[in-house]
Amino acid sequence: MNKSSRLKGILIGVAILFVAVLLAENLIVKVQTTSVRKEPKFYSPAVATLVAGETITQISAQAGWFKVKTSKGVEGWIHSSAVQSKSFTLAAIDKSLKTQATAEEVALAGKGFNKQVEEEYKSRNKELSFAEVDRMLRIIVKTEELRKFLENGKLGEFGGPR
Amino acid sequence: MRSSRVRSIVLTSGAVALSMFLMTCSTVQEQIGTITGGKVTSSDVETATKVTKAVRNSFADITEEEEYYIGRAVSAMILSRYPVYKNEALTQYVNYVGNATAIHSDRPETYAGYHFLILDTEEVNAMAAPGGFIFITKGLLKRCRNEEMLGCILAHEVGHVTAKHGLQSIKKSRLIDAFTIIGQEAVKRYGPEKLAKLTDIFEEVLGDIAEKLIERGYDRKYEYEADKLSVQIANHTGYDVNGLLDFLDTMVDDTSTESGKGWFKTHPSAKDRMGRAEKEISSLASAPSEKTERTDRFQNAMKSLN
Repeated sequence: MNKSSRLKGILIGVAILFVAVLLAENLIVKVQTTSVRKEPKFYSPAVATLVAGETITQISAQAGWFKVKTSKGVEGWIHSSAVQSKSFTLAAIDKSLKTQATAEEVALAGKGFNKQVEEEYKSRNKELSFAEVDRMLRIIVKTEELRKFLENGKLGEFGGPR
Repeated sequence: MRSSRVRSIVLTSGAVALSMFLMTCSTVQEQIGTITGGKVTSSDVETATKVTKAVRNSFADITEEEEYYIGRAVSAMILSRYPVYKNEALTQYVNYVGNATAIHSDRPETYAGYHFLILDTEEVNAMAAPGGFIFITKGLLKRCRNEEMLGCILAHEVGHVTAKHGLQSIKKSRLIDAFTIIGQEAVKRYGPEKLAKLTDIFEEVLGDIAEKLIERGYDRKYEYEADKLSVQIANHTGYDVNGLLDFLDTMVDDTSTESGKGWFKTHPSAKDRMGRAEKEISSLASAPSEKTERTDRFQNAMKSLN
């Protein structure tokens, strides 16, 4: 192989990679933690757990759910309300023009109304019951329990014909 | 020869990049076309592109994490006014019903999920703080005769969360002020001056929401919208949507001492809402009916309510 054809090969490879990166729909997790599930249902077993800011690749879409591939190569389903499309904006090129950040940038940086603001707010309003809020957040409905609740109550897909 | 080959490679790469750019534009154009349902001019695309890269300027640009912190603080305000009803089994049951409806809504996932709590008061009320913190009073639970009614009430509250009615109650000027400070600060942690300013705005934001949610009630249009969403969500979950009408009916001729407080103060008249809900229900293609399995477990769970 001569030098120019090797160069050609490399350039084509780079071009293909470039196209593939642009074509692949990247999604960012926008909730604190979520699961990639075996099937497009909330009570389907989880095949991967993701946290806010992680990027995944969309393979296909179906009634509010995305079939995705995680960075570790695990495939499964995630609900559209847990992710946002990664935006590709030309504005990002010239940051000097910007005086504000986009929602995506704020989310990724953990800025905005965040833990630090809450701490400051708490120190000003000591009478507020944040401990009760933390207790409320510990009330969890497990996936399997929810499935049983739906099934026993003939709800959702267990409701049968109407 | 060699230089012409390199030139052709460069041209090919350029063509690929150009076609990608054009494809992106046409995709934007297609999507706008779908939304507007009409023809789109190049200036429309230009405007849309500007909008998509624009900075934050409305409640819709509040991130999930920010909504969570707003919801936490609003919940802390609610929980400093009302004690929590300590009944683990009943609270868990309410969380099952609530989550069953939430996963059948358009927004089943929020930053930290949906959580439901019972407030220890005879006042009849239910409230939804941004992000999925939902409260129902003991007084309101006592009005429920079956799981269908409870499911419809919680679906109404889930509707407030999915439609972001709390966030829509924030005055726009406050958001613009907050977004400006947040955007200007490059570091992850705020300096004392910026933090103080941002916390001032945070307090004002919470004041806007609390005024509506706790004091005066959401705008009527939001309550009607939440009723409409309740019918859709409850129906999708498999509950008998007449549960909403049954509940509203119990509120119509209420003369109890708790009238004038809570729900009565913060919601439009039950009669008015019933008429609108009936119309929404009549538009459903099919509607599930009450099931004995659900009524039995409801009665079982409610035995411990005192």
